[in-house]
Amino acid sequence: MTTATLGAGRPRSLGRVPGLRYAITPIALCGVLLALYAWLGAQNLDSIESRSLTREVLFAKAVEHIQMTLVATALVVVIAIPLGIVASRARNRLITPVILTVANLGQAIPCIGLLVLCTFLLGVGFQTALVGLVAYAVLPVLRNTMVGVQQVDPALIEAARGMGMTRGQILRRVELKLAVPAILAGLRTALVLTVGVATLGAFVAAGGFGELIINGLKLNRMPVTIAGAVLTASIAFFIDWLGGLAENLLKPRGI
Amino acid sequence: MNFSEYVVSRWDTLSLAAGEHALVVGVAIGVSTAVGVGIGLLAHDLPKTRGISLAISAAILTVPSLALLTLLIPITGLGWGSTLVALTAYAFLPIIRNTVAGLRGVDASMVEAGRGMGMSRTRVLLKVRLPLAWPLILTGVRVATQMLIGIAAIAAYVDGPGLGTQIFEGLSRLGSVNALNATLAGTLGIVVIAVLFDLFFFAVRQLTIPRGLRVRS
Repeated sequence: MTTATLGAGRPRSLGRVPGLRYAITPIALCGVLLALYAWLGAQNLDSIESRSLTREVLFAKAVEHIQMTLVATALVVVIAIPLGIVASRARNRLITPVILTVANLGQAIPCIGLLVLCTFLLGVGFQTALVGLVAYAVLPVLRNTMVGVQQVDPALIEAARGMGMTRGQILRRVELKLAVPAILAGLRTALVLTVGVATLGAFVAAGGFGELIINGLKLNRMPVTIAGAVLTASIAFFIDWLGGLAENLLKPRGI
Repeated sequence: MNFSEYVVSRWDTLSLAAGEHALVVGVAIGVSTAVGVGIGLLAHDLPKTRGISLAISAAILTVPSLALLTLLIPITGLGWGSTLVALTAYAFLPIIRNTVAGLRGVDASMVEAGRGMGMSRTRVLLKVRLPLAWPLILTGVRVATQMLIGIAAIAAYVDGPGLGTQIFEGLSRLGSVNALNATLAGTLGIVVIAVLFDLFFFAVRQLTIPRGLRVRS
């Protein structure tokens, strides 16, 4: 699906100007970041603070944070969506309740506990944080994929079969397309969750904006902590906004 | 020292931490249920208020928990204050969303029947809509509770109460004898609390859902 065909298919929604709603988040984010910049500029930063908040450090932390989030999410997509599709097949229906129960219980495991336990197995570093992040985000995406595929109207599948489609065709052209909104909703939630949990990656020496928060707290330098917190929140809002855009663009036209 | 010996020897510390964990989650969920259901009752019929309250509570949930907790330090200080405020704020979205969805999902004919019996709008809201929406509201509270139990673990980093202290203790003493035991005790203890809360909500559900609804479903 290319953006060109999508663009051609939805001239009417452009006329309704949904643009304003989508512009609010970036405008607000720019405002918040400018305010942060101005506030830090007005602050009398001592040497520790100014060294923790140079452009290079902030850029490096941003890259680490986004890298952690994106790599984890990519792994989640590769792992959870195929598994969700397999779990949704009729002959695997028996494991549905098992997956639902495990997914619900898994949510109760605190992410920080999971991360620290991973550290005992793998040592500190980027990989550990990655394993923790993926383990935490896999279950919601898997559940959403499974439920999304399963809730497709059986009448539609029957119609597709009546048209002579094979099982594979039905899966690709009917079931998956109709499950796209549910899958994307799950992914968007997972992505925002991952941005948040990636903050905790700093506890296992994986970097990211969490490091600013933690260092600021440890050294009792509030400006550093606040800069880290505001920047993390900004990334979360930005990614949520991107997810919202993607949801609207990738939604099959008929729905 | 293996894990069971650790739990036995630190039982006092662990049970106190677990009690505090449950207490802080319980208080936060109580406050945000009262406020959230109140907002839902007021806003379910006003599209603008509804949209704004849902957007704000969704925005709160987008803020990563470590960021929110640390941003609260200058305002509410370290410890219980920040923990309670952050947890309460996080619980709003599931509760308000489910309250609004539940109240709006009530069959129009039921509302009409209530009006036909001469009930005022407020009475219809409290005597017809609210009881019918209650199962969904309770689900929202339950989801919010599970979420808060996990977030409360992170609050230990800003000196909050609860089993998170055990996890951070394990982390800070990585490699020492009881580091793994402390982390395991904290993590598993939190899972146990989550399961207990779930059982509690199951009991509340059985006790508070009107009989007519239970028979139908």
